[in-house]
Amino acid sequence: MMKQFLTLLLAVLALGLPMTAQAAPLRIEITEGVIEPLPFAAPGFVPENSAARQLAQDLAQVVADDLAGTGLFRQIPDSAFISQISSFSSPVQFADWKAINAQALITGAVNLESNGRLVVKFRLYDVFAGQELGSGLQFAGTQDGWRRMAHKVADAVYSRITGEGGYFDSRVVYVNETGPKDDRKKRLAIMDYDGANVQYLTDSRSIVLAPRFSPTGDRILYTSYETGFPRIYLLDVASVRRRVLEDQTGTMSFAPRFGPDGQTVVYSVTRGGNTDIYRMNVSTGATQRLTSAASIETAPSFSPDGSQIVFESDRSGTQQLYIMDATGGEPRRISFGQGRYGTPVWSPRGDLIAFTKQSKGRFHIGVMRTDGSEERLLTASFLDEGPTWSPNGRVIMFTRETQGANGQASLYSVDISGRNLKRVKTLGGASDPAWSPLQN
Amino acid sequence: MNTGQYISGVAHIGLIGWALIGGVFQPAPEPFEVTEVSVISNAEFDAMMTSTTGPSLETDLAALTPPEPDATEPEAPRAENPDPAPVIAEPDQTTPPPAPETAPDVTALLPPGPPAEVEDVAPVLVPPTEAPVTAAPENSPTPKPRPVPRVAPEPVAAPEPDARTDDIAQDQAVDDSTADAQRDQQEQTVEEEAATEIVTEAEQGASSAPSRSVRPRPRPTQVARPEPDSNTGTQDAVANALAEALATGTAETPKPAAPSGPPLTSGEKDALRVAVQKCWNTGALSTDALKTVVIVSVQMKPDGFPETGTIRMVDAQGGTSGSASQAFQAARRAIIRCGAKGFKLPPEKYEQWREIEMTFNPEKMRIK
Repeated sequence: MMKQFLTLLLAVLALGLPMTAQAAPLRIEITEGVIEPLPFAAPGFVPENSAARQLAQDLAQVVADDLAGTGLFRQIPDSAFISQISSFSSPVQFADWKAINAQALITGAVNLESNGRLVVKFRLYDVFAGQELGSGLQFAGTQDGWRRMAHKVADAVYSRITGEGGYFDSRVVYVNETGPKDDRKKRLAIMDYDGANVQYLTDSRSIVLAPRFSPTGDRILYTSYETGFPRIYLLDVASVRRRVLEDQTGTMSFAPRFGPDGQTVVYSVTRGGNTDIYRMNVSTGATQRLTSAASIETAPSFSPDGSQIVFESDRSGTQQLYIMDATGGEPRRISFGQGRYGTPVWSPRGDLIAFTKQSKGRFHIGVMRTDGSEERLLTASFLDEGPTWSPNGRVIMFTRETQGANGQASLYSVDISGRNLKRVKTLGGASDPAWSPLQN
Repeated sequence: MNTGQYISGVAHIGLIGWALIGGVFQPAPEPFEVTEVSVISNAEFDAMMTSTTGPSLETDLAALTPPEPDATEPEAPRAENPDPAPVIAEPDQTTPPPAPETAPDVTALLPPGPPAEVEDVAPVLVPPTEAPVTAAPENSPTPKPRPVPRVAPEPVAAPEPDARTDDIAQDQAVDDSTADAQRDQQEQTVEEEAATEIVTEAEQGASSAPSRSVRPRPRPTQVARPEPDSNTGTQDAVANALAEALATGTAETPKPAAPSGPPLTSGEKDALRVAVQKCWNTGALSTDALKTVVIVSVQMKPDGFPETGTIRMVDAQGGTSGSASQAFQAARRAIIRCGAKGFKLPPEKYEQWREIEMTFNPEKMRIK
């Protein structure tokens, strides 16, 4: 009886509904996808003259290596290709690339002009949409700069697909280490982010530590034991000229880092057994003391907007992370987990802080939000330390040292998702990396 | 009787106690083994411990295996080799970047060459036009407008082949003795063919012929409404009533009797959802795009294939316009890739899924 009444009621209601209800689309919600590298095809670039033949192959390979190295993309080997790209301007047979599941297709052309000028063109296609993604771009430069041009192509491809900036056209300054552990020679070196084009900036007569790029990448701050005590130096990358930044007798200064304005530097000074954080204007030399606790405060790092500083302090009894205003003031503790936290570095995007954590005899590189929440450890080993952010805030590079007398330091990188941990190519030992901003 | 058990129990306990305390089972003690412990010095102990806890790099590395992406359904056979890349890629030490081993010549560190200048404008790079479909023997050649050199205010159709071209079009007049009024014998003339504009071959669009024949519509399957089952619960009764009411409503509309059928069951919706999410790859999305929920609309063909040209973004929440665009592209790829074989949808309910709105919510896919 009840059911019949309900049926009647619903029938009446349904008849009263406007007929357009029938045209309402079917709605479904999709909440679970897959996380896998996006397959792309990068056939060798088309050489527009015979002189460019080798460069065309090499360029395409560097582009492919850049993309595949992120762990977000997977290169489809040339042997799987159904059709080839023989001309840069002829239309693409999308069906041939769909068939091998290439979701992105990169085509390019290289021309080496008689005056040594190198011109690189490329296009990116969204194969399944059957259209070009963005418009074609062209880079020109000297032949020596061909790797940079390849990195620029890869950056453009990366940002068009992922929607965030790339990081391939960038450099890394680090401490090159040679010799046995008890007589280790250290000198500053600079290289492309992928380990190519290594150049040395200092000799190995004195110990150098913790190089840091300026926001424009043209200057480097580092700590040297040249005088027997740690001192901060400012080095111009182009001229390799340097000067002492902070020189007060009876003090040790170290752990420098630029502020986002390129003029302000924060660093630590140890005087009479107490270590505190100072800031200095590199143009005027004016300094300001930011902390005054009896505990050790060090490793300061600016937020990208320059308004705050994150640093490590043992004022609570164990080494923890704190944030204070860029002009000093009462700090607020943000790390509360088990273990010791150190070397915090603010992400260039401002949302995360990377740090080194020591817990239960292991070292980790981790990230947390700026309020200390959502702590995630990305690595674990005998000794991991000193994180530095890629220009787009997606990848962290750090030092990993192996155990024992023959232990050697080397550079590793890891995605902030914790995936794609890999070693960075360097010749000999390497430590203390600092990633430059994207080059212009 | 209890007394006997008590006596027995006490006797047993006594016997066992004597055996334990009296040392029946204990051999004569050997005191010298005990002193051996105190002989070991701290240094020796440390040495022993360090030697036993030798480092195992492999264990370290193995423990670092980053979380693998969620297991996914194997896709259509991939043409490439399986990716053998290990989690920790050791660099190829055989091809290291060249570096001087001697103390560096500082002058050699001077500017590493002028940085490659970048021209971000690409005036020469006009997107290539699609080649006209030429090698398609199964398609009849599309009739193309003839090249018409003459331009007139009004277009004139092509003349009959045997008619003479003249400025004035006239019908043919022949001798007809039966007619009332005799007209002069007149040859048929037509105006010269003309068009309103000059259309060159280069300006003609590509062939408008369909690139493939349209699939025949599936035979209308019998629309079998589920018989109301008196034994089912109220929910089924409500659903049936609703379907019946809706069906009645449709029948009354003047629209042709398109198959509509009852709404999709949750199982059918789930099947569609699973089919799409298999291809929804968020692996290459930015962290911003992973915060963006996009609603994407797509028109479907009756055979279950999506009309890829109709895929559009209805709405986006969270994130920036850039991240919405990336999120939409990933969603579009998912629909096109997994729709390439057609979605399994009940044809009799076509009206229900003629248009589908899919909400792609990446909340669970964010970096954790």
